[in-house]
Amino acid sequence: MDRLSTLPIKQLPASRRWARIAGASLTLCAALVGIWLFVLPVAVVALSSVAAHWSGTLLPDGLSLHWFERLDGSDFAALATSLEIGVGVALAGTALGVWLALALEGHERRGLGAVIDTIAMMPNGVPSVVLGLAVLIAYHKPPVDLSSSALIVILVQLALVLPFCYRTAASALRPELTILREAAQSLGAPPAMVLARVVLPQMLPAIRASLALGFALSLGELGATLTVYPPGFATVPIVVIGQVERGYYLPASALSLLLLLASLAALLAIAARERRPRPQR
Amino acid sequence: MSRSFTPDIGVLRRAPWQQWFLLVAVLGPLVIYPLSRLVLLSLSGPHGLTLQVYAQFFHNPETRGVIACTLAVLGLSATLASLLGVTLAALLFFRPFPGAGLLTRFLELFVAFPSFLVAFALIFLYGSQGAVSIGLQQLLHLQNPPLDFLFGIGGVVLAEVVFYAPFVVRPTLASFAMLDLRLVEAAQSLGASRWRVARKVVLPLAWPGIAAGTLLCFLLTLNEFGILLVLGSARLITLPVAIYSAATVDLDLPTAAAGAVVMLAMSLSLYALYRRVNQRHQRGAR
Repeated sequence: MDRLSTLPIKQLPASRRWARIAGASLTLCAALVGIWLFVLPVAVVALSSVAAHWSGTLLPDGLSLHWFERLDGSDFAALATSLEIGVGVALAGTALGVWLALALEGHERRGLGAVIDTIAMMPNGVPSVVLGLAVLIAYHKPPVDLSSSALIVILVQLALVLPFCYRTAASALRPELTILREAAQSLGAPPAMVLARVVLPQMLPAIRASLALGFALSLGELGATLTVYPPGFATVPIVVIGQVERGYYLPASALSLLLLLASLAALLAIAARERRPRPQR
Repeated sequence: MSRSFTPDIGVLRRAPWQQWFLLVAVLGPLVIYPLSRLVLLSLSGPHGLTLQVYAQFFHNPETRGVIACTLAVLGLSATLASLLGVTLAALLFFRPFPGAGLLTRFLELFVAFPSFLVAFALIFLYGSQGAVSIGLQQLLHLQNPPLDFLFGIGGVVLAEVVFYAPFVVRPTLASFAMLDLRLVEAAQSLGASRWRVARKVVLPLAWPGIAAGTLLCFLLTLNEFGILLVLGSARLITLPVAIYSAATVDLDLPTAAAGAVVMLAMSLSLYALYRRVNQRHQRGAR
């Protein structure tokens, strides 16, 4: 940095002093804009869920928990569906992601490996509605009819989540860890033992990250789920959207807050443990 | 790369059967089969393969309007989100203020926030009965709440900018972190102004990362659905909403499929470009 910027402000020449003050106020403005744009919306969802009434006033009329008390059976059913599907998608996505990463390690640039890598990552580039429509067309009537089971929702969310799980697992297979595996192998450990004692423990942080990411993405998924979901398997986002479209904003906030807390809990569970930077999307 | 010297070992031996199994039994039903059925349906007519649905699709002036509208929303939102994201990242990196670290962590968590909830939260803030609107009314002593832009292109663009700018911040911050700060200091000590340093040193060096982040932003914005459904479905018909309502309201799967294939072509070409740029960027970083 230049020497002037380390001087106390009183010793600066006047023009520099003004420049510094202008710079600082610009920074302050930008920080406020950042907080206004990004922090405020999240705070608003939380605040509106405990608002007694909030329309046509600057702040809520009063605080109350009665929107939570008024959540009914269908809301809790949606919450249960979301959590079950989320757990299923996170487990299946992580298992498949780890398997893909191990099977393709070092081969993702050439031949068959490159083809598999491209196809596994493809849902990242496909709009969720389009993927939902494709799955609906493929599985809504015989030979494979999943149109009345939760399986079709799990299937479409699994496809959407797989790229993230696969990337997370693949980023854990770093060359310096491969040496340990080779050492175990050369010391005569049987393959199953290498997998259970060396490979999976090495990948544990990535597996944890992949579970949390899969869970959070599944909970918030809207486009594909809305296109394929069979009656009786509405997830929380679908119920929330329905309420918003009918103008029931405050009940929708209460339900969204529960959804956010569930995914926040999952993300904090990894943030507390994981120290390495998170993998790129 | 040392990878090529790695011997195949035990359970991890990359037997081709394993890769074939993953391709056929896992990715087949998850990705390949549904997308092929989608393309096939859009091509099938009463007697074999035809392009009739597409002819109808592109002939209809309404759908051309829908595509133009989708692209306009995409261009506006993604451009603004990228500019905002890069500016914010530059600020967080070069002029850290108290709490900048906290804001960075928050923006990382933002990525797991569902987009439709952003749209929903904006209703409380900028809707005609929202807090900002009422605040302005009280401040300026107006008869009626002044804001009425949310359910339309203005609201959609605002929500998409708010939601997707953080996706640009992260890759941009990562590419700033890889800058050689000695170059910045050298330029400064030779008397270059801040603006000149940013334009002549920082931007060219960080450009690959910024380009990857911007492309990602365009891709995600193109694929967005929740925001369009909440804020746009009444006045603004975009391609994803049109596909959704053709499939689930009109139950016209062939038309929906044709729209979906058009959309798929757009987003997959953008995605291919992103993967290319990103791979080059990451290889360059090593």
